[in-house]
Amino acid sequence: MTQFPIGRRTVIAGALGSVVHGGASFAAEPIKIGFSIPQTGGLAAIGLQALLTMQIWAEDVNAAGGIIGRPVQLVTYDDQSNPANVPRIYTKLLDVDKIDLLVTNGTNLTVPAMPIAIQRGMVVFCMLALAVNEKFKYGRFFQTMPYGPRGKESISEGFFEVAMAMTPKPATVALVGADAEFAKNAVDGAREQAKKHGLKIVYDRTYPPPTVDFGPVIRGIAGTNPDIVYVGSYPVDTSGMIRAARELNFRPKLFGGGMVGTQAATLKGDLGEMLNDVVSYELYCPAVAARFPNVEAVLKKYQPRAKQKGIDPQGYYVPPFCYATMEILHQAVTGAGGTDQEKIAKVMHATTFKTVVGDIKFGPDGEWDHPRMLWVQFRGLKGQGMDQFTNPAAEVVVSPAAYKTGELRYPMGLAKQ
Amino acid sequence: MSNLRFWGLMGVLIVVVWLAGRLVTNEYVFFAGYAVLQYILLATAWNLLGGYAGYINFGSAAFFALGAYMSVALNKLVELPVPILIVAGGVSAGALGLVMGYLTLKLRGVFFSIATLALAIVFQAVITNWSWVGGASGAYVMRPADGPWGGSYVEYLFYLMLAMACGSVALARTIERSDMGYGLSAIRDDEGAAESNGVPTLRLKVLATVLSGTLMGMAGAPLPFYVAYLDPPSAFNLSYAVNTIAMPLVGGTQTWIGPVIGAVLLTAVQETAMVTISSASNLLLVGLLMIAFIALAPNGIVGLAKAWKKGETHDAVSNRSAHRHRGRSG
Repeated sequence: MTQFPIGRRTVIAGALGSVVHGGASFAAEPIKIGFSIPQTGGLAAIGLQALLTMQIWAEDVNAAGGIIGRPVQLVTYDDQSNPANVPRIYTKLLDVDKIDLLVTNGTNLTVPAMPIAIQRGMVVFCMLALAVNEKFKYGRFFQTMPYGPRGKESISEGFFEVAMAMTPKPATVALVGADAEFAKNAVDGAREQAKKHGLKIVYDRTYPPPTVDFGPVIRGIAGTNPDIVYVGSYPVDTSGMIRAARELNFRPKLFGGGMVGTQAATLKGDLGEMLNDVVSYELYCPAVAARFPNVEAVLKKYQPRAKQKGIDPQGYYVPPFCYATMEILHQAVTGAGGTDQEKIAKVMHATTFKTVVGDIKFGPDGEWDHPRMLWVQFRGLKGQGMDQFTNPAAEVVVSPAAYKTGELRYPMGLAKQ
Repeated sequence: MSNLRFWGLMGVLIVVVWLAGRLVTNEYVFFAGYAVLQYILLATAWNLLGGYAGYINFGSAAFFALGAYMSVALNKLVELPVPILIVAGGVSAGALGLVMGYLTLKLRGVFFSIATLALAIVFQAVITNWSWVGGASGAYVMRPADGPWGGSYVEYLFYLMLAMACGSVALARTIERSDMGYGLSAIRDDEGAAESNGVPTLRLKVLATVLSGTLMGMAGAPLPFYVAYLDPPSAFNLSYAVNTIAMPLVGGTQTWIGPVIGAVLLTAVQETAMVTISSASNLLLVGLLMIAFIALAPNGIVGLAKAWKKGETHDAVSNRSAHRHRGRSG
């Protein structure tokens, strides 16, 4: 485990900031916020973005006088993307570091923390996790990603709504995904959606995560001639599937799905025009920036530091919702008047929180009371390069209706348009 | 060390740890202690075949994960106490060792090692596609808050792991001093010569594989309860395979105490490196230590200590004889 002294630095920075800004001085004990986060291993790309955003939030809060007059201190350890390290880390945070509040991230890395949190009655401020509380049904669990109460289905619901609005309606679907946690959940949800909409499933297979050649997979799908193709994939296979589809000139009416990686600037920039007409999900993108004006301030602080650290330089996916998680924590502690976990849980259930990503109200299961996944279609991309994704026209929101910025274009066109 | 002294020390150690555990209120101690004991058990298990017989097993994670997934599978059918799950994990991993050993140990040299590597990959693919035990999505195991004898459940798991680690060390020491141990040493030194002298090489190798696999399976069985969640990437994590080989190599492969020293030392080094340098460096450090010990001290820390002691004794004998010689000539 690596203990990052960011907490102490943050307190110092915050204290200095408050001196500069004439804010409150911190005679009070800091509020310690503890979390395990992947800074190395497979999930580090996400973890490092979350960590930087939380540092930015802590600096902002401390500069403004802290929470209920107390500075915040982040205490964190690297779990190396390995769930087996998580129980030890959270026990250390609670028993040795004596944290006041507990934050988790990621599905696999949140589940091992749950028994400890439940045992100690801690409120779990969670982000980037899917359907964790389905098993635990813990009344003090709160997750900030907008999956809503039907977690698994939310990664395909919008895609199928968009597909069924095509004229003529599609009749057949191919489902394909990696043999791994998120992708399997995505394809499971898509299978339910296909049944719900009366689509005939003509291809339903998985591929092992280390697959590098996706040509045979795409050829297999193309052989069944589906109207639409739903893919549940991780970044490496997202890239492989899209490249193979383009190289083989496979162009169904609709191609896309729960494709992890199409939210990351580097992968998007690398794929460039090959993404044209692909439909995938987003949590935030420049097309909806006007709806969430406060996100820009967060990204302005995040982007230069992210470039220095060599992590996602645009940060449209993780930072806004990560910052929102911490804003919720801030408001909940303020509402409870301290760090009493029972009072915080009551506030969490009762409050509609104002955050940079809009108003958030939690349902009884601790997920958003309604889903708000954005389904986007990539458009007008030329060559390669990530800068073109700052253009709102590069990702057109096609679902949900409340955030729609354009109509779906189908069938899938050529890469060069 | 005499038998009496060994068992006396083992008994004292268990009583001291148990008494200390009664006084500890910080649960982190049990979490950290569990990880150390788990590696003592794994390293000792690996050493039965890799150290004593010289047959390198790269597939420790497969045996370990089999024990873990056996717990997940049985726990889905009926809620059983962890000790029974440990027995089931041990039996299943031992059976895998028997099949694996019988099929591959007839061939000498690297074939067994290659087969163990393949075993881990094939077994991971099977688990990933077996949805009943969670498949790629992983399986949840709800851990009770309290242990059956009072205290927390993690404290209970810690004592179970302590018992298994002590048992494995005792077993390794017994084997080392038995006909089986001498037979395995003969295989390690020259298998052909051992066979021509009547050592039942295949039988001993298969037996060592079964015992090694059993202990690894037993080490994995409590894991789902410790983590509360098990998915293929964490059950088959590279760190298990790497550490399980590195620990005996660093400590010393030819004695029972070597893996214990290696496990305690490397766990401490890794924890310290993660806190003070960076978490990315911890496996790198293990790799560097492995290379250093293989190149400079192939018999590990125990070998170095023995050589130093031998040198000191040699010096003392030389000094005494020189003194006598000077006395006579004076």
